[in-house]
Amino acid sequence: MVGFVVRRVAALVAVLLAVTGLAFGAMNVLGDPLFNVVGFIASVDCDAVAAGEVDDISGQTAGGRGDCEVIAEARREHHLDRALPIRYGYWLGDIVRGDLGTSFKNEMPVREVIGEKLPKSVLLMVVAQVIAVGLAVPWAVAAAYRAHRPFDRASTVGTFGLVAIPSFALGVILFYLFVVRWQIFSSRYDDTDLWSRLRSMVLPGLTLGLPAAAVYMRLLRTDLLTTLQEDFVLMARAKGMSDQWVMFRHVLRPSLFSLVTVFGLSTAGMIGGSLVVEQIFSIPGLGRALVEAVIRDDFPIVLGGVVVVATGFVVVNFAVDLLYTLIDPRVRADG
Amino acid sequence: MSTASAAGPLLSVQDLGVTFGTADGPVRAVDGVSFDLTEGRTLGIVGESGSGKSVTAKALMNLLPSYAEVEGSITFGGRDLRALAAARERHFWGVELTMVFQDPMTSLNPVKRIGEQIAECLRVHLGRSRKVATAEALDLLERVGIPEPRKRLRQYPHELSGGLRQRVVIAMALACGPRLLIADEPTTALDVTVQKHILDLLDDLRRERAMSMILITHDLGVVKGRADDVMVMYGGRTMESAETPTLFGRMHHPYTRALLETIPRIDAPAHTRLVPIPGRPPSPAEVGRSCPFAARCRHRIDDCLDGVPPLVPVPVGAAGAEGAEDASHHSACIVSVGSDGRGDS
Amino acid sequence: MADMPAPGERTPDQRDSHLHVQDLGSEVSVRGSYEALLGGQVFDDSKGSRLGVFFWLAVGWMGLVVVAAVTAPWLPLADPDQTGFGGRLDAPSGDAWFGTDGNGRDVFSRTVWGARISLVVGFVAIAMGMVFGGALGIIAGYFRGVVDRLISFVMFAMLAFPGLVLALLFIATLGSSLTIVSVTLGLLAIAPVGRLARAATLLYAEREFVQASRLLGASHGRIIVRELLPNVLIPMSGLALLGMALTVVAEGGLAFLGLSVSDGFSWGKLIVTGAAPRTLREGPWVAMFPIGAMFLTVLALNYAGDRLRWFMDVRELAFER
Repeated sequence: MVGFVVRRVAALVAVLLAVTGLAFGAMNVLGDPLFNVVGFIASVDCDAVAAGEVDDISGQTAGGRGDCEVIAEARREHHLDRALPIRYGYWLGDIVRGDLGTSFKNEMPVREVIGEKLPKSVLLMVVAQVIAVGLAVPWAVAAAYRAHRPFDRASTVGTFGLVAIPSFALGVILFYLFVVRWQIFSSRYDDTDLWSRLRSMVLPGLTLGLPAAAVYMRLLRTDLLTTLQEDFVLMARAKGMSDQWVMFRHVLRPSLFSLVTVFGLSTAGMIGGSLVVEQIFSIPGLGRALVEAVIRDDFPIVLGGVVVVATGFVVVNFAVDLLYTLIDPRVRADG
Repeated sequence: MSTASAAGPLLSVQDLGVTFGTADGPVRAVDGVSFDLTEGRTLGIVGESGSGKSVTAKALMNLLPSYAEVEGSITFGGRDLRALAAARERHFWGVELTMVFQDPMTSLNPVKRIGEQIAECLRVHLGRSRKVATAEALDLLERVGIPEPRKRLRQYPHELSGGLRQRVVIAMALACGPRLLIADEPTTALDVTVQKHILDLLDDLRRERAMSMILITHDLGVVKGRADDVMVMYGGRTMESAETPTLFGRMHHPYTRALLETIPRIDAPAHTRLVPIPGRPPSPAEVGRSCPFAARCRHRIDDCLDGVPPLVPVPVGAAGAEGAEDASHHSACIVSVGSDGRGDS
Repeated sequence: MADMPAPGERTPDQRDSHLHVQDLGSEVSVRGSYEALLGGQVFDDSKGSRLGVFFWLAVGWMGLVVVAAVTAPWLPLADPDQTGFGGRLDAPSGDAWFGTDGNGRDVFSRTVWGARISLVVGFVAIAMGMVFGGALGIIAGYFRGVVDRLISFVMFAMLAFPGLVLALLFIATLGSSLTIVSVTLGLLAIAPVGRLARAATLLYAEREFVQASRLLGASHGRIIVRELLPNVLIPMSGLALLGMALTVVAEGGLAFLGLSVSDGFSWGKLIVTGAAPRTLREGPWVAMFPIGAMFLTVLALNYAGDRLRWFMDVRELAFER
């Protein structure tokens, strides 16, 4: 068990290094960090100034220093005069010390920004997954209980259609019906208390949760049907257990493997989906902040967001691995 | 525990028929099977795979899938089992009659602790508290001869060997004190060395609890000395039925003889050849026009192909010598086969 | 007779397979990713060996969309960019089948034209995924060892990286030309395809025909191209259709972030335009018709892909141990 945990933590660290390295590299290669730190004067050709070919337009910035002084200072401060891997090293060092940096744009500490935005996104995820699992389990049980009957067949068609609706399209449709047409929900995110927050999450949660429910339902139904063929199900019935008892006490748990696996993997998909859904339903969550930060080249926010998202993904999948051992004692043997 | 009528058999099966609706048309897996089982006795049902013996057991246990069509009557302790099944009175099974399956590897739920699985019946049907049920489960584990029972209660099935698992399955089946235990090939999946222990255990438990038992097997040798009555099935029909000593003493049906010849005998001279039965059992789809065994029978005559032979009482003594019949000995063969194994008609 | 094998009864080998729990984790994860990518198998209970009527219906719809997209310039359609083709937000009618948008442009014509970008992005992206992901997966699965561990780790990292964020990074900085958008989405397709190709290769690399050609002294290249490629990638054609569906949807997602293809318009962009609350209130058709077109196309791709996958029996390779 200890070896298991150590290996998982090592994997988490490795994945985080790879992911942040990728993001850091991409941002620094594709964008120009200097531009974000000092603004338009970043385009001043300081080599030319040094060579005396161009005048330094001094005194235009605060403190009356020359542009090139400002640039040089910014370079030092942000280690921009060093090679990319070393810069990554500095950034990593800050992260390890718990310093995620400050936003280029509004000087807000990244930690504060994430602290403010993340709970909303997490709430969205939780609502969506609760809806997905809460729908999928009873639905799959009902379909598997009377497999190949009309309800089951209709469900199959239904899930197929549900999976084929892109999440943003579903969002637009729900928005149209519930906000524009019937005006059951407000179009704005209401942050006054937990109740209003939950209410604001219903439509976005459905948008993310319904397609996931369809996926979960299909997986679980198939696994339930497989488990129903097992001898121990006959044995339980021979012991006089009712159909419901057999289904929920004997069949459900051994059938949860695929569902749990996909639950973990679908978290990544949901994070992607939440970027769009937060946009449609104007939820001021991490996804929106991330999108804005990427578009404005606000590196620290983007990197901070990526760290949080990747950590979340790895942690969820780690939890899924632990769940396996809860579901099936046989997995513990080789854990 | 139950208020059964003292008179009459515990279990009475009349004209049981089971038909499966399949994509290739209806398949008759059991056809016209009748038998009585008196309280405290053991009935051995013997036959090859596909003979309909397991389907018969599942029909008794209300375990057939929904596409199976059941006919005939099944009466248990004076109650109509098919009516109970239709009324979804599932709790009757498990308490009054229960079943042990062939493969202990798969008949235990892999994700539940053994103690929990044994106690389940007690808790659900008899409303025992968790504590009482666990104590009873411990007693049961002890009784079926499992070492370190207290430790086993908290173990999972995969931590046990096949023989121990079958003991757990038996403990589980016995938990609610059933009056009838159906054991479907309880030892087939086990090591030869373990088989005898399990069979002896079943026998002891049956005696101790004055329980009735149906022992289903493909091995006539298993039945000998353990069952009071034997019913030989083939192609979904009863071929021969009798009290065990009678059957082994005056075997009438060629199929029963053929079955016996396939069993290795410890007392036979060395290098005695086992005689396999040529051919394969008919598939249930082929059943219905002739004696099901006709295709593989050494004693076949033309009449065998002309209609299904009825199950009739076997005359006592040499064929046709006296008019007396043994009321308990029936056979479904129109050819009278002498004790030397040759047909004489 | 005791050992007479009976049809339908378990052989000892099959019984043992219940106990192969040490493989359980890996099997589940392969199966899981597979199912996650494909959204679970559908109609697993289908019998028979034909693709079925609905498969051909789906293929028919895809054919119709492709033909319409390719021949759009020659079709008797209104100019999709012509403002004032009709009034502002006209309801669907005989003249404008899908109505007109806020600028009086013909939504039907725009939907047909929008298919061009959506399909190109989908096709390029999944082709990239199949080529690079397939190659990496086969190499990892065939050579095993360090190569495998390295490639598998990179793939896992790519999966852990939220795809849309990566796409954002690339497109926001490199611009949203058709090429950049297609290639970015193609990059995202590499990891999932690669994982599956690897799993399939692991299976086939142990099969007799591969072992045999290895014994006969065939080079690695030859074995990979002649023996593994057809067995791993061709059955994954069903997967290509499913992947294409995912990419078409992903492009739509980008459109919602304002990062859709800048030169021209896709279905996603049409939907975004129509999804503005005011447009949605006064002319829901502007959003709903492109949504319908996208839905039907994704449905057709999913169904055909699922059917094809079932037909090619790729399931076997994902579930077998």
